[in-house]
Amino acid sequence: MKSPSASVVLAAHLVLLSSISFGGFPSVLPDVHNFVMANGWVTDREFADFFAISQVVPGPNMILMMSFIGLKVGGIPGAIASALATFGPPCLMYYTAYRLWDRFRDRPWQQIVRRGLAPLTIGLVIAGGYVMARAGDVGWQSALITAAAVGLMVGTRLNPLWILMTGGVLGGLGFL
Amino acid sequence: MVVMTQTMEARHLAERVALGALFVGFLKVSLLGFGGGLVWARRIVVERQRWMDDQEFAETLTLCQFMPGPNIVGITTCVGSKLRGAVGAVAAVGGFILIPWAVGLSLGGLYLHYAHLAVLQNILSGLSAAAAGLMIATGIRLLMPHRSRRTALLFTALAFTGMAFVKLPLLVVLLGLAPLSIAVAGIASARAS
Repeated sequence: MKSPSASVVLAAHLVLLSSISFGGFPSVLPDVHNFVMANGWVTDREFADFFAISQVVPGPNMILMMSFIGLKVGGIPGAIASALATFGPPCLMYYTAYRLWDRFRDRPWQQIVRRGLAPLTIGLVIAGGYVMARAGDVGWQSALITAAAVGLMVGTRLNPLWILMTGGVLGGLGFL
Repeated sequence: MVVMTQTMEARHLAERVALGALFVGFLKVSLLGFGGGLVWARRIVVERQRWMDDQEFAETLTLCQFMPGPNIVGITTCVGSKLRGAVGAVAAVGGFILIPWAVGLSLGGLYLHYAHLAVLQNILSGLSAAAAGLMIATGIRLLMPHRSRRTALLFTALAFTGMAFVKLPLLVVLLGLAPLSIAVAGIASARAS
């Protein structure tokens, strides 16, 4: 499926999402997932694969993942449009906010807003991980890998790269 | 006199940091930062280049967490903007994104080409399961400082449920829960003081 209008629709949706992606882009993953599924652009399998690739390639993971979706939907122009839609609006906001930062640094209302938004952000990040685990689910083995990754990441100071590689090796050996 | 010294220092700093240095600095952050780009951002910005001290870096991170978008791109924008204004922000973000994006997209294109290979599929399944676990774990780690606030746990659970199970659009979840959550935080803070 390579259609310019689909790329535009996707980019427009990403502009909206990146503008409200408090807590980083992982928090909007479930919404992206629902959106591309509803449009029939990407399969569950592909979505999980895009996620996996973007996590092992160094660099801007989420921008890359959105570009893979854009690539699938509209080729290279689609990929570029998705990338710009993902980092463009937040960059403009960061730039503007950084200039205003001093003005409201010590205001108590800012702290209250932060304390109010933090739990939502966290819930969305965890939901992002959960939705990704479900999208790539191929049985109890993959659930086990996900659970082990959670345990190791929370409980140890192990470099996450080792956890990712172990998951990949187990998959390659036919554990899944 | 103090003001004059400060402006001279600022001018000195602005002259010293070349746009190319910003580009290369954040290219490194991007290429080194598998998963945890923040570690490398601090190492390069604070320790290696001394573009910011630890306190300023932490403040900038807070600002970025308070804003939508990828936090690490936010830090990149802010550091570039601090040192060289708008042009600096463009150079830093360009360094962070341009080359790694092109490399990553090519690798992804290769994958799309060989997607039918069974071994590749299996490797990606394993990777994807582990990566999902890392993301859940990151959420759990972020939750730790809030674990004593019962209302915070409640709102985390509500946001999680709304997104993962009810499958509501993000905008609905945020607009629905944010006013309530902020109001509760406001009441708690008023009671505490």
